[in-house]
Amino acid sequence: MTAPANEILVDARGLEPPEPMEKVMQVLALLRPGQAIRMLLHREPFPLYAILAERGYRHETRMEADGSYVILIRQSDANP
Amino acid sequence: MGQPAGLSFEQAPAFSLPLRFFLTAPLFLLAAGGLLVWTPEALASRWTPQALALTHALTLGFLAMSMLGALMQMLPVVAGASLPALRLVSWFSHVPLAAGTVALMTGFLTARPAAFAIAIVLLGSGFAVFFAAATLSLARAVSSVTVGGMRLALASLGVTVLLGLALALLRAGGWTPPAVEAAMAAHVAFGLLGWVLLLVIGVAYQVVPMFQITPPYPPRLSRWLAAALFALLLFHASTPMLPGVVTPIVDAGLTSGILLFALATLRLQWRRRRKLPDVTLDYWRLGMASLIACVFVWLVVQFRPAWADSDAYPLLLGVLFIGGFAVSVVNGMLYKIVPFLAWFHLQAQLQARAGSIPTMKDMIAERLTRWQFRLHFVACVLLIAATRWPRLAVAAGGVLALSALLLWINLLSSVRRFARHGGHFT
Repeated sequence: MTAPANEILVDARGLEPPEPMEKVMQVLALLRPGQAIRMLLHREPFPLYAILAERGYRHETRMEADGSYVILIRQSDANP
Repeated sequence: MGQPAGLSFEQAPAFSLPLRFFLTAPLFLLAAGGLLVWTPEALASRWTPQALALTHALTLGFLAMSMLGALMQMLPVVAGASLPALRLVSWFSHVPLAAGTVALMTGFLTARPAAFAIAIVLLGSGFAVFFAAATLSLARAVSSVTVGGMRLALASLGVTVLLGLALALLRAGGWTPPAVEAAMAAHVAFGLLGWVLLLVIGVAYQVVPMFQITPPYPPRLSRWLAAALFALLLFHASTPMLPGVVTPIVDAGLTSGILLFALATLRLQWRRRRKLPDVTLDYWRLGMASLIACVFVWLVVQFRPAWADSDAYPLLLGVLFIGGFAVSVVNGMLYKIVPFLAWFHLQAQLQARAGSIPTMKDMIAERLTRWQFRLHFVACVLLIAATRWPRLAVAAGGVLALSALLLWINLLSSVRRFARHGGHFT
């Protein structure tokens, strides 16, 4: 049984630190294999990258036209 | 993709290393309040022994103590380069700074050369250790406007400490050579406008947009302001050797730079995205308003030069800059740094049960931080008034002491929550 979308959306735009990080950490604990987090943020979350790498997740970051960022987070050994 | 700033759970310093600085600082603020209650004549002039002890309780015991702890924590995050030998640096800068400040205050209050001698050794070695470690770290750091501000602030700290050590040596020996006045003026200028102001500016470039969800500072301002202020400070220190016409130009330059920063910050904060009440924001606003008040007072005195010679003028500037600006901003930042660290380390240590730890906002009761802000605000008002009506000094000291005590209690409460949820400190 697959979830309707294989992504969980975390819209952290406009949240002050460390709420974005708090939200992502909470969702990470709930991720099922093959699922990803789609994180929206108004800044590039550099401090998060090191933590994700440490916990075995990889990320892809893209800047949107409005200057905000979209970060896709998956487990390192998952298929893209 | 960017470079990984060192906020990984493995690379971050143990909680206790920066924490000791943050828990010691309010005690010196408390001591300053107590000193004022005990000897209210301290505010008769800035040169009384009690005023000097009070000043250094604030600048060394509270401001430098907090700023050293914050740098220790922020350098890895902001500059991508952590301090070397972190545990050693922490021990050998925290203890000498605390003990050295007590010795220096004792020296001022008792005029005993031995106290000054001890202060010189302790403060000299403590700052030397930290300075060496921070220089190594900043030399390797990825350049940015914040790192640039930190580098200039650290250079200013070096000048301030060297001059301070020399001045203490003179005081211990009882000599007062003629150059002493110029040395004192430079010590104060590099200490307040260099170390304190430049560090706040450098850090503001990061934390104001980050915590208060504002747009970034205008790039032209952030690129040039710190360097321009530092250059002006160098000119300011050389004024005895330069033609007299230079002095007002340099002073006007410094004042304009300060005003620019304060107004730019207030403007950014006015345009912030999330308009929720926040104690740290209010502390910053109080700080910026105090900077503007300093500029205003300075301007008034330019038109009434006779007031420049009064005892109240430098005291008023000092109260506004140190109490209204520096202590406010640091106080506000402590309410972000300590809860954040408590949350961060709990998160790192209790990975499996991530959902069960308090959020950063839950670490300290917001109501109590709001009360402490009110106490601090009243203390600032009373201190300002006390420069004009010295009878208010006791009340000012009392409220300052209460404010400091509540700050300490609030910070401790987050540490207790951390421990109660199973966090460990090393």
